[in-house]
Amino acid sequence: MADLLPPLGTAQIDGKTKVDEKVDYSNLPCPVPYEELHREAIMSLKADNFEGLRFDFSKGLNQKFSLSHSVMMGPTEVPSQSPDTTIKIPTAHYEFGANYFDPKLMLIGRLMTDGRLNARVKADLTDRLVLKANGQLSNEPHMSHAMFNFDYMGSDYRAQLQLGNSALIGATYIQSVTPRLSLGGEVFWAGVPRKSGIGYAARYDTDKMVATAQVASTGTIAMNYVQKISEKVSLATDFAYNYLSRDVVASVGYDYILRQSRVRGKIDSNGVASALLEERLSMGLNFLLSAELDHKKKDYKFGFGLTVG
Amino acid sequence: MAAKPCLKIKGRGKGPKGSSSSTTSSSSSKNELVKEWTNWSLKKAKVATQYGFIPLIIIIGMKSDPKPHLFQLLSPV
Repeated sequence: MADLLPPLGTAQIDGKTKVDEKVDYSNLPCPVPYEELHREAIMSLKADNFEGLRFDFSKGLNQKFSLSHSVMMGPTEVPSQSPDTTIKIPTAHYEFGANYFDPKLMLIGRLMTDGRLNARVKADLTDRLVLKANGQLSNEPHMSHAMFNFDYMGSDYRAQLQLGNSALIGATYIQSVTPRLSLGGEVFWAGVPRKSGIGYAARYDTDKMVATAQVASTGTIAMNYVQKISEKVSLATDFAYNYLSRDVVASVGYDYILRQSRVRGKIDSNGVASALLEERLSMGLNFLLSAELDHKKKDYKFGFGLTVG
Repeated sequence: MAAKPCLKIKGRGKGPKGSSSSTTSSSSSKNELVKEWTNWSLKKAKVATQYGFIPLIIIIGMKSDPKPHLFQLLSPV
């Protein structure tokens, strides 16, 4: 009799843990937004390398309100006819910015000396509906763009409607299928070059890794994989193929987040190696070093900068 | 500067005399009218945003709590 009791006890405990691990399909987490599907890969592989000098000064007047002044001096690339040569024009500009951050309203505006305004607005219309607007307005005719997005966040899905100038309409939808897998799709219709497209995306993430894949009727197939080795190190790899223009690019990158600095680097199948170092010299003072070596085109870009505040 | 849309439509109405039917010409002229007005209003909205967005952010920021001083806005420290 005594021999029978312990096995019953252990069988009950095993059954209980199995119930805990079983997936609750009515209570799935909300997925990441469709445009941020590959955000971990973008952090490592698409770091913003720059060329020249960059100085950013940001002054907070308030918890919510801050002003920023930026000076950028360096060559900017001009698209050239032949793919082998790149034409660079040295430019220098100053940009004034104002930011307002509220739990319900976020306004960011950046104005350059040549009259170009870069504006971003994010407003929470209701608990679940968010309006985002993004505009680049310039003095040159036909060079201004604006885009409005309406995002609806459901319990385990997100839907978005996009309206852009020159008759651009798009919609995206993403749904959590299991606690780790989310699937989504997008449709867009552009008025000026009369074309429409449809695309699908999938994202699988765990604590240690994230894998995403995207297919679109514009011809792009993109897959990326990010592995988090530890709290400080993560490695990423990305593969992009365009079946209409037969372009293929593969890249491998890393992201080291250390106590005082952050290093991100990547190497490409186009022969491009790049790295970006952000070092915290003291409280509120960051030093940036950027390098991008394009061995195929023999184009080497180096930049340094300082960020205050 | 952009001419007001009404003058343009009047000029267009006088031009073609042998039009097929009055209804199609009036509906197409209504379409033209709507297009002209939306283009005009979008242009004015773009200019207003370009000039007024940053002042709008500054006004909203200066009214938020705790109210910052005008001196803090202008000084570089």
